[in-house]
Amino acid sequence: MNRRFGAVSSLLNLVFVVLGGGFAAAALVRFSPGFDVDENAWNPRLSASTLEAMHRAKAAESRLPKFYLRYLRAAAHGDFGTSDAYHRPVSELLRERAPVTARLVVFGTAGGLALGSLFAWMAVWPRRALPGLISVSTSGVLLAIPPAVLGLAFFFWQAPLSLAVALAVLPRVFGTIRAALSDLYDSPALLAARARGIGAGRIALRYVLAAGLPRWFALAGVAIMLAFGLTVPIEALCDVPGIGQLAWKAALARDLPVLCALGLLVTFVAASVQSIGEIIGAAQ
Amino acid sequence: MIIARRLAIAALAAIVLFGLFAPVIAPYPYDRQFRDRPDAGPSHAFPMGTDEIGRDRFSRLAWATRISVLLAPAAAFASIALALAISAFSGFRSRLMRRLVESLTTVCLSLPWIFLFIVLRAELPLNTGPAASVALTFGLMGVAGWAWPGRVFTAAIGEMVHSDWMMQARAAGISDLRIAAAHAWPHLKSLAAAQFRVLIPAYILSEASLGLLGLGVPDPLPSWGNLLRDLQQPDVVKANPWALAPLAILMIAMISLELLQSRPEPAI
Repeated sequence: MNRRFGAVSSLLNLVFVVLGGGFAAAALVRFSPGFDVDENAWNPRLSASTLEAMHRAKAAESRLPKFYLRYLRAAAHGDFGTSDAYHRPVSELLRERAPVTARLVVFGTAGGLALGSLFAWMAVWPRRALPGLISVSTSGVLLAIPPAVLGLAFFFWQAPLSLAVALAVLPRVFGTIRAALSDLYDSPALLAARARGIGAGRIALRYVLAAGLPRWFALAGVAIMLAFGLTVPIEALCDVPGIGQLAWKAALARDLPVLCALGLLVTFVAASVQSIGEIIGAAQ
Repeated sequence: MIIARRLAIAALAAIVLFGLFAPVIAPYPYDRQFRDRPDAGPSHAFPMGTDEIGRDRFSRLAWATRISVLLAPAAAFASIALALAISAFSGFRSRLMRRLVESLTTVCLSLPWIFLFIVLRAELPLNTGPAASVALTFGLMGVAGWAWPGRVFTAAIGEMVHSDWMMQARAAGISDLRIAAAHAWPHLKSLAAAQFRVLIPAYILSEASLGLLGLGVPDPLPSWGNLLRDLQQPDVVKANPWALAPLAILMIAMISLELLQSRPEPAI
């Protein structure tokens, strides 16, 4: 019963967040500078009364609740309007660029989690000072480098950019994985398993991976959103035609339809990842 | 570890002093152009050389340090104040209000921060002056970053609300405002200080990323972020390795702040 309640609560939360995100996006478009400007106002062929009627009709349509409902209804059908900078439907731009970013995010997250786990394991398992020092120092140095600088370095060395994303994700998940591993390795069940002489590989699989599954799922969700945020400067500076570059160009060109659509989609993805993590956690 | 922490304190102190005394240390104003000396190498007149429009790199680095060193803590302070206000407001209200604020916090935390900032930054008017733009950049950072400390404060206040002393204070008819100021704040002070220390490096790094993207502090004002834009031209870096100085000073500041945050291992 509690699990079902948790799942329903997470789903309701998701709906609330998406509706709220949609409202914020619509409000941003509605109140953006120049929204009320109509190019017909400079058309000398239109009479004053026609212009007045058009202005009144536009004002009625622009009332926020009405505008919000229309925006949300269109967004539900995949219509996010037309980009001011590219003069193309926003949905078309998103469809083109999403796979590029998805590839970068997936490989970056996987690499970051794998490297983060390796470094955290080095800090926890051998119980020796040197591997611990190496892992903590490497993570600390990587955290001190802006992700965009890492991306630029990889770009100029012609190395894979997903590795730059992975190296940027690594220090941001390292602390959490180290704390979780430390917790699991100090658990009585694992100490008993070591005392019984069970091998390190089996301990890692059964007592660390399987026992910490909800935590790993939650962490993966966080890491995906982290990697997505980190791809924005990397894509922008390294000329990768993905969603991050689109967001950056839209921000520079003040292309609000694109920014709002991206805002809405990112909110949806973030809230979905969060809800999935909560539901899996509740089920475990 | 103790030696490392002492070194970190010394490095941070040197960086802060370098920034605070920029008007004295810098030989030229940050925006003065020597048009006959663009891309000049290091010399007696220009210790780190000049940039592509002939501005002294050393002077700009000193002023950039001043901006980053002063404004990142200011933004962190704004985040803490906002987070405290929101958490206290929701903590003393109904369960529904707490749940709403928790949901908002969760979403703000899971949204890519830089993304949110890009959207907000694009809303700013085009005719904003450089000084106002700096204030807005760091102000927006302060507002957008409330969720990190907000989650910690909400959890702490949630625990306090059910504590015996809080119930007793409420039963005695003490107002919520007085409870918050006189009874809850002393418990939250150390948490606020810890969050403040965590946020400063986060904002320094965020400003650097935004500066690199051209969405941070605008020219001619220098910041660590916009000085890093030279790294987009590898030829400039090869010709004058001093172009890497902003990255070096940023990394030293970040590593020092990390070292100060890490808890010293107990001596056995």
